[in-house]
Amino acid sequence: MELIDKIPDEPAKPGEFILPELMAIQIAHQVRNDDIVFAGTGLPMVGIMTANFINAPNALLIYESGICDGKTMHVPMSVCDQRAANMSSTLGGLVDTFGYYLQNGYVTLGFLGGAAIDKYGGVNVTSIGDYYSPAHRFTGSGGNSDIGTMAHRTAFIILQEKRRFIERNDYTTTPGWWCWDFKTNEWKPKKEVWKGTAYANSGPVAVVTNMGNYAFDEKGEIYLKSFHPGVTIEQIKENCGFNLNVSRVEGETKKPTYKELFVLREFVDPELIFLPQKVEYPAHIQKIING
Amino acid sequence: MPRLRTQTKKAQIMSLEEACKAFMHDGAMVAWSGFTGFNRNPFAFAWQTVRQGVKNLHVIDRHGSCCTWLLNAAGAMKIYETDWMGWGEMAGKLDVNLERRYKKGEMILEDYSHGAMAMRFLAGAIGAPFIPYNAPLGSDLYNPKYDALGRAGMRDGKNPKIPKKKFIQFEEPFWGEGETILLPAARPELAVIHVAQAGDKGTARWRGVGTIDKEIAYAADKVVILAEEIVPESEMRKVPEANQIPYFVVDAIVECPWGAFPSSVPFYYDYDAPFMRGMDAASRNPEDMKKWLDEWVYGPKNWEEFIVKLGAKRLLDLKADSVTGYSTRMMRGKKPAPRMKMPLSVAMSGY
Repeated sequence: MELIDKIPDEPAKPGEFILPELMAIQIAHQVRNDDIVFAGTGLPMVGIMTANFINAPNALLIYESGICDGKTMHVPMSVCDQRAANMSSTLGGLVDTFGYYLQNGYVTLGFLGGAAIDKYGGVNVTSIGDYYSPAHRFTGSGGNSDIGTMAHRTAFIILQEKRRFIERNDYTTTPGWWCWDFKTNEWKPKKEVWKGTAYANSGPVAVVTNMGNYAFDEKGEIYLKSFHPGVTIEQIKENCGFNLNVSRVEGETKKPTYKELFVLREFVDPELIFLPQKVEYPAHIQKIING
Repeated sequence: MPRLRTQTKKAQIMSLEEACKAFMHDGAMVAWSGFTGFNRNPFAFAWQTVRQGVKNLHVIDRHGSCCTWLLNAAGAMKIYETDWMGWGEMAGKLDVNLERRYKKGEMILEDYSHGAMAMRFLAGAIGAPFIPYNAPLGSDLYNPKYDALGRAGMRDGKNPKIPKKKFIQFEEPFWGEGETILLPAARPELAVIHVAQAGDKGTARWRGVGTIDKEIAYAADKVVILAEEIVPESEMRKVPEANQIPYFVVDAIVECPWGAFPSSVPFYYDYDAPFMRGMDAASRNPEDMKKWLDEWVYGPKNWEEFIVKLGAKRLLDLKADSVTGYSTRMMRGKKPAPRMKMPLSVAMSGY
């Protein structure tokens, strides 16, 4: 711990970190210290664990299999890994997490993955093409649709490609700010479809991809907030299936700091389960680590 | 409807073969314990099911697991009513045989979400016919067009285990809280649950996450408990609050050490990530698949022989330590696990 305090907070230079590390840190930045976070397997889990180690030590982490506030020593491979349950407050089951915590309104942030996303933050993790004879069939909702609609704020991590960033999903697993009203068969703002429910104003606030960070405007439409180092706005527009709003872009995504990278590499995923490789630290950081 | 009973069940201690023969049959509607391929999958029971040649199963569950992977590998599953169809180590990815069989039209997939399945089992467990849930309005999960069992003509009421509707959307009538979804109870015929310990009368206990195992036990007609160890019932009663399933809901108890391999039983053994990677690799081509099944499913004479075949080294690596409930000796990623120390987040949060 003393060592962490010695690692400088200065941003790393290009080549000193890899894209998955940058993405995990971007996820961590979404977490507030007073959040109750419900996260899915993979980078979301790694990201919020990192947040718990740096910027949001008091954020409470929920994993869907029944884990309330796990304090991990070793990175879990899944949300039901005993590693995730280490030193948790209570251990229950899905009725606890989806009923007592989620439906009852305790969860402030949901962090999830997705296979495709529409312009309004609606996510597809079910199938591409016709539902009954799909070109691609994915795993299906899991907790995605529940967490993605009942957590107060939700955020997604998605691989950015033209076929994954689209005007309208083939199948909407988790509705965004616009969705179908199946009673009238109309495509409507979520606020109207969900009118009267406690969740009408809950929904996606951020998307992290391999190319940039995104947010949603007053109309519930996605816009580019920042582009990752080495990526141009042109490239981002080429990898988007609709006319993306880039007028609000604030600039380049903040590079991860040495301290953030140190925590992520040495404390969150030293076994390299989700991170593909470990990059060497620059000499002046290595010197601090070696003491 | 609730199954009114005139006498209590009496749990029988059986062998794996006997229990499978007694409770598993073609077309049975089954739920399997644990969560994804990682936690308390009753894999030995699924293994025995496949060896007995059982077909056309209707699996109603919360997840894909090592059990459903094996059932798909052997083509034993017909209907899959669940919410997450990935499995274990390959988390996020679909089981290859499932995708292949689904695309060939050999299977029916009915999609729900985790929350929805948890609520359906909760309704089943408390004897309620249905349950309201603030399921995601506007999600295609609740698109009337996407009702796979209805489309297959199976919601005609002839099968008492399949509800006549997938869901009903209606206006919340008591508080004026907008539209909500009613979900039918889940009422499987059989729940197969792997636990750490069972008393010799059937009281069962696990450590670690509960997922929805208590709910499936109460929702199902018949309950088979597989346990790492059977202990005297009196032992189970020394710390009763640590038990989850009382003996009166249990029909059969099977002592089956390492029966959840390659998934984990917290405080007994860890999941075997490399073994699951091998399963996934084998499923990617039919010849390798057949070889794998011959070697690991049809080859061993019994479950004990399966475990012996794994070798002492592997079992030592997987053995859980008594502090954390998992093992740090297994190579899961590209680097070995660091030694145990106090989690940094505990120090940071001041607990």
